[in-house]
Amino acid sequence: MLNDMIIGMAGSGGDGIVSAGDALISASAREGYYAMLTKSFGSQIRGGESSCRLRVATTPVLNPGGTLDVAVVLNWEDFLRFGGELPVGPDTVVLYEKKTGIEPAAIPLEVKPAIVLAVPMSELAMKSAGTLQAKNNVVLGLLAGWFGLAREAILEGIRRKFSKKGAEILQGNERAYAAGLEYADQHPLARDFRLSPPVARGGKRRVVDGNEICAEAALFAGCKFFGGYPITPATEIMQHLQKDIWKHGGSLLQAEDEIAGIAAVVGASFAGKKAMTATSGPGFSLKSEVIGLASITELPLVCVNVQRGGPSTGLPTKTEQADLFAAVFSAHGDTVRPVLAPIGVRDVFGVTVEAFNIAEQYQTPVIVLSDQEIAQRKDIIDPVDTADFKIVDRVKPTPEELAQGYNRFKFTDSGISPLSHPGMPGGSYLAAGIEHNEHGDPTSSGEMHERMNDKRLNKLNPLKQRRDLFILEGDPSAPLGVISWGGMAGATLEAVRTAQARGLPVKLLIPKLIYPIAEEVYRDFFASLQHCLVVEQSHQGQLYRIIRMWVDVPRGFTSLARSGANPISPDAIVRRIAAMAENTPATPSTTSR
Amino acid sequence: MSSPAITDCGCPPPAAAPLTIKNFRSELKPIWCPGCGDYGVVTALYRALVNIGRPPHEVAFISGIGCSSRIPGYTTAYGFNTVHGRALPVAQGIKMANPDLLVLVAGGDGDGFSIGGGHVPHAIRRNLDLTYIVMDNHIYGLTKGQLSPTTPRGAKTPSSSHGSMEQPVNPLLYVLAYGAGFVAQGIPADMDGLTKMIEAAIRYPGFSFVNIQSPCVTFGDPNDQMKVQKAKMRKLAEMGHDPTNRLHAMDLAQAYGTELYTGIFYQNPNPPPTYDSQIRERQAALQATAPAA
Repeated sequence: MLNDMIIGMAGSGGDGIVSAGDALISASAREGYYAMLTKSFGSQIRGGESSCRLRVATTPVLNPGGTLDVAVVLNWEDFLRFGGELPVGPDTVVLYEKKTGIEPAAIPLEVKPAIVLAVPMSELAMKSAGTLQAKNNVVLGLLAGWFGLAREAILEGIRRKFSKKGAEILQGNERAYAAGLEYADQHPLARDFRLSPPVARGGKRRVVDGNEICAEAALFAGCKFFGGYPITPATEIMQHLQKDIWKHGGSLLQAEDEIAGIAAVVGASFAGKKAMTATSGPGFSLKSEVIGLASITELPLVCVNVQRGGPSTGLPTKTEQADLFAAVFSAHGDTVRPVLAPIGVRDVFGVTVEAFNIAEQYQTPVIVLSDQEIAQRKDIIDPVDTADFKIVDRVKPTPEELAQGYNRFKFTDSGISPLSHPGMPGGSYLAAGIEHNEHGDPTSSGEMHERMNDKRLNKLNPLKQRRDLFILEGDPSAPLGVISWGGMAGATLEAVRTAQARGLPVKLLIPKLIYPIAEEVYRDFFASLQHCLVVEQSHQGQLYRIIRMWVDVPRGFTSLARSGANPISPDAIVRRIAAMAENTPATPSTTSR
Repeated sequence: MSSPAITDCGCPPPAAAPLTIKNFRSELKPIWCPGCGDYGVVTALYRALVNIGRPPHEVAFISGIGCSSRIPGYTTAYGFNTVHGRALPVAQGIKMANPDLLVLVAGGDGDGFSIGGGHVPHAIRRNLDLTYIVMDNHIYGLTKGQLSPTTPRGAKTPSSSHGSMEQPVNPLLYVLAYGAGFVAQGIPADMDGLTKMIEAAIRYPGFSFVNIQSPCVTFGDPNDQMKVQKAKMRKLAEMGHDPTNRLHAMDLAQAYGTELYTGIFYQNPNPPPTYDSQIRERQAALQATAPAA
């Protein structure tokens, strides 16, 4: 029996592959498993190829994993379009639609898996339900039968989904599911591939994606205004917020463009409210001037950038981590903007709340770098305990301070000046994109500019001491280190644990605070290291390079970086760790780039 | 918010201690050239705000970039001198976040009809209750005299030394076509008329637009200065124009650039609901059905 299983499925848009994935993860949650569901599509609006991968396990799942344990192919052409996203290995069980007419020995894969089964999926659907639309329920039956997945819970899910559509449709789909189960029972696999029973029932666990939980976190943090513009893969944040933000006394603007969206957010923040925007790469580029305005006016705001492949339109539906430079260096002038990155779906909650807190405390725009995978991946998560989070509000001037004559940009030890808002008597000031003195009056004095730059940059220094925004694992004296961030952190964490289990002396650092670079945290991490690997999904290795800008790195400081939409599997990371252990770079072409 | 009894237009009855211009004038000295039309605009605005009677701290005054966009700093309102062309979206965010505020927006013709031109139709159709004042001088003054979107065809400027080859935009016709509920035009030389139309614009419950032909004394056309304007001005009220007649207003607006009509071109007699009033309604309705945790 297995404790961990990765299932990949691909077909055409109408095959219902993605809804089969949704059904499987919901059933897995009810049954008591943990799971992670990623979906991948061509960029067609409807139809075209679609796929999903479900990793289901008895313990929390850290990443979508590498090679598939089970591949479900409704159509080879579509399956092959996903390439490295659905890797098949010699041990993968391959189930494919018999109607494709290809013999098991002749399937179009470079590897030859031991178990390859041509299943008459369409035929079973037609015979049982009279419609090809029931094919995905046949697939669910096959998976439940052969792999021991949530047999009862899937049936419950089918009943819930189709009960409103009339008895005939409901029964047809139930029969299709039963036909799949029966087929599996009648054709037992050569080996036992069944998943172990769950450790406990699901309880309050839920299925959620990164964008939905981001919206929940924003409301929890006190967000009262959202301004944004539809863009893949960030739109769902706005779509979730528009349902409930009004109940919290807030409002939401679908603006005429990306610039207007963030400009309205700056306005709402000036008016005294916590405010947020969300976008993806192209929109983030457009917003950069207004982010600079928020920096110089010292107005809090949160800007979520759900990264996708770039530059320009790039790969709108695929994940990448290549907007780190853009986030760190967005907008002109000498500024520092905090950049945070969640490491998974559940972590989006805490990081979003933290982003609001930092924005409010330090009166600064904060950028959250999510990515397409985290944003649109569905995870089964344990409930978030909101009691774990505090809420920070901006410091406002006291009546005494206002009576003494208010200076909006007053020099203070912390660099943080109390912030008034319209409606507050005695607090009037001029916010301006132009450089200003303490009172807010425009100035072109070089001396004042230097002092204000000092104020705006130095006020963020305490952030660098926030060690709670870093994950450290492993023996502090280990000679090997691995660093990763954001969407790649899960695979890296799994790889490091695997390497540690094999006895390799390796430790791990995952920053959630990406910028400003916390020099001391990295220096402490590097102190014991002979070799260090930075794992990320960008062609240039952007974190690898940014760390080098601020910190002296160990001699063997190398990068494992690939462009978006090319997953880096835990196995690949383990191989690089092993290579470091042998003091030999794995492939010269990818080291020290 | 401290103001009780806010009326339909968002304007309360006059305060107990009457406000004066001193309450609205800041200590900052304007950067404008001597003789700039914008001095007259800010004076008319002080007067209008005195008549409206909301205290300065309940006024948010938003601008973009340009000579005229410096104007919020010369008032005691909460001012926000934003980036080029984005005054309207910033102002809308402010009004949405706090609908109780009196929100004024100002800028030049370049700010409003060139770099920020894409925001104007959306501000109008969204219809938040704010007043947009454009100081239209037909030139880019801050960058020393280049073509602006309202510069007449043929004009020779540092960026068009052979003469402009473009048709200027017609701000009045634009905003009327976009559906603005209140459209007026004034000149600083007619201080009383300008004050009244700004006041009427603020009192209009919805998006209101005032185009002020505010001459640039340094880079502007010598034939487009205050004295010439005063002689050329024709008051719509005296011409018998009915400001509730939108088509006639559009007809008159066609003459932008040739005739200088001043006063209210159009005022919707049946103002549609504002976006901010709808926000309040939606918040109240949803809070009543399911209170937030």
